[in-house]
Amino acid sequence: MSTEEPIPYPFPRPGALDVPAELRALRDRPVIPVVLPSGDRAVLVTRYEDVRSVLTDPAVSRNLNRPDAARMTSNNKMFQDEKMDPDPPEHTRVRRLVMKAFTATMVENLRPKVQEIVDELVTKMENGPCPADVSEAVAFPLSIRVICDLLGVPTEDQDRFRGWTDRFLSTGKYSGPEIGAAMAEINAYMGQLIETRRAHPRDDLISALTQVHEDDDTRLSEYELHWWCRLLLLVGYETTASQIGYMVAKVLAHPDQLARLRADLSLVPLAVEEVLRWKLLNGSLSMLRYVTEDIEVGGVTVSKGTSIIPAVESANWDENVFSCPHEFDVARADNHHLTFSVGPHFCIGASLARSELQIVLETLLRRFPDLRLAVPVNELGRSEGTLIGGLLQVPVEW
Amino acid sequence: MRVTVNRDTCCGSGLCVVAVPQVFGHDDETVVVVNEPEPPAALADLVREAARRCPTGTIRLLDDE
Ligand code: HEM
Ligand code: SF4
Repeated sequence: MSTEEPIPYPFPRPGALDVPAELRALRDRPVIPVVLPSGDRAVLVTRYEDVRSVLTDPAVSRNLNRPDAARMTSNNKMFQDEKMDPDPPEHTRVRRLVMKAFTATMVENLRPKVQEIVDELVTKMENGPCPADVSEAVAFPLSIRVICDLLGVPTEDQDRFRGWTDRFLSTGKYSGPEIGAAMAEINAYMGQLIETRRAHPRDDLISALTQVHEDDDTRLSEYELHWWCRLLLLVGYETTASQIGYMVAKVLAHPDQLARLRADLSLVPLAVEEVLRWKLLNGSLSMLRYVTEDIEVGGVTVSKGTSIIPAVESANWDENVFSCPHEFDVARADNHHLTFSVGPHFCIGASLARSELQIVLETLLRRFPDLRLAVPVNELGRSEGTLIGGLLQVPVEW
Repeated sequence: MRVTVNRDTCCGSGLCVVAVPQVFGHDDETVVVVNEPEPPAALADLVREAARRCPTGTIRLLDDE
């Protein structure tokens, strides 16, 4: 198999709202050789059960700081840092401290606050020019305010940190030095903010984490504190904002499904899960792993030292698990998609993202009985050369 | 039905806590705790669904047959 010509991954998207054509025939084989944007080789795991088991296998590591591990891109280290151990039990220990702010219970308590922000943004959109771009009118301001409030980052600084995030998530859009400069800037920015919050704690996560650190420095080192605070800001809003934009476009592009939803708004949570199953992220490049002991994947041996990508977008389309997977069905039952991953790296923001998506969808449908896309679907563009690959704009009219 | 959990693997999502608060809770490090290891039959379906949805496979169920 190693002699087979690897196919380039991530796959190109045929249209802004569609999934790549390559995905359809992919699951004929459990493991496929691919070549990444860096030029390095890896294997892609295609089937649902195998993706689950790879993500939860202790012989599959997220630590790519190894001489023979594949790199995602040639000039961006993304989530890798040689000083941070990204595997359990060390990772799990630190993650638990951060997770306190993001449990499903915490997020339930936050719902009224999220609803308030959505109402305010939607009212502003309604009173402004029509058509409007949902992405800049609602999706970004909402998810930025929510994560800023939780962390204790001033929203006024968004002009600065949006630029840093853009570079952090680059898979080709920016050069190495541009990415390096942005990372240095966010390090300095976060370092200063942490000192301010340590001196004058408030009711936010950064303040709380500085206290953990103060109380018992064996539990959260200064380095870990800085690393996690930066990470949460960099991954805490663009993901959700892009998914909100994608959700609005996807739902409006399917009039039959839109009508079902309008007839019964209690379907909104299921519709959100279906939008998540369609997954927006540009493939699963960022889920790259490294195999530390020979493992079996769908009857094939994957040897120690192989770099491996669990292809969530393929798993989400596995016809052995999802009936009619290529149908967009806002009332799909048993939708156990893997868009938030599974195992020790299960997305920390999953509950938060879900509640933002649900509240936005419900509110827009309730407030605008005739909401529609203001441009034809084939004119929607996606941002290129970035991990998330969200829609550039989502113009709607009402 | 008997409910057990592996506290080493729990990633603290809290999904089970929200789904079946009568059975699952969190300690102060957001690791799952089982408040009701032998839940009443009326909750069995909810508990099974919570176990299936647990992103880390932390929840184990022993069915009494
Ligand atoms: C719809 C929106 C989102 C999607 C689709 C998403 C997706 C993901 C995925 C797939 C992973 C796991 C990566 C892996 O297994 O390698 C992940 C991890 C993570 N997510 Fe999200 N995410 C979203 C929103 C958020 C938000 C709002 C936050 C803010 C708190 C967040 C914070 C994180 C963090 C910190 C991790 C790393 C967890 C770890 O390594 O233990 N995400 N996310
Ligand atoms: S659902 Fe699983 S991982 Fe999440 S809190 Fe419950 S036991 Fe832990």
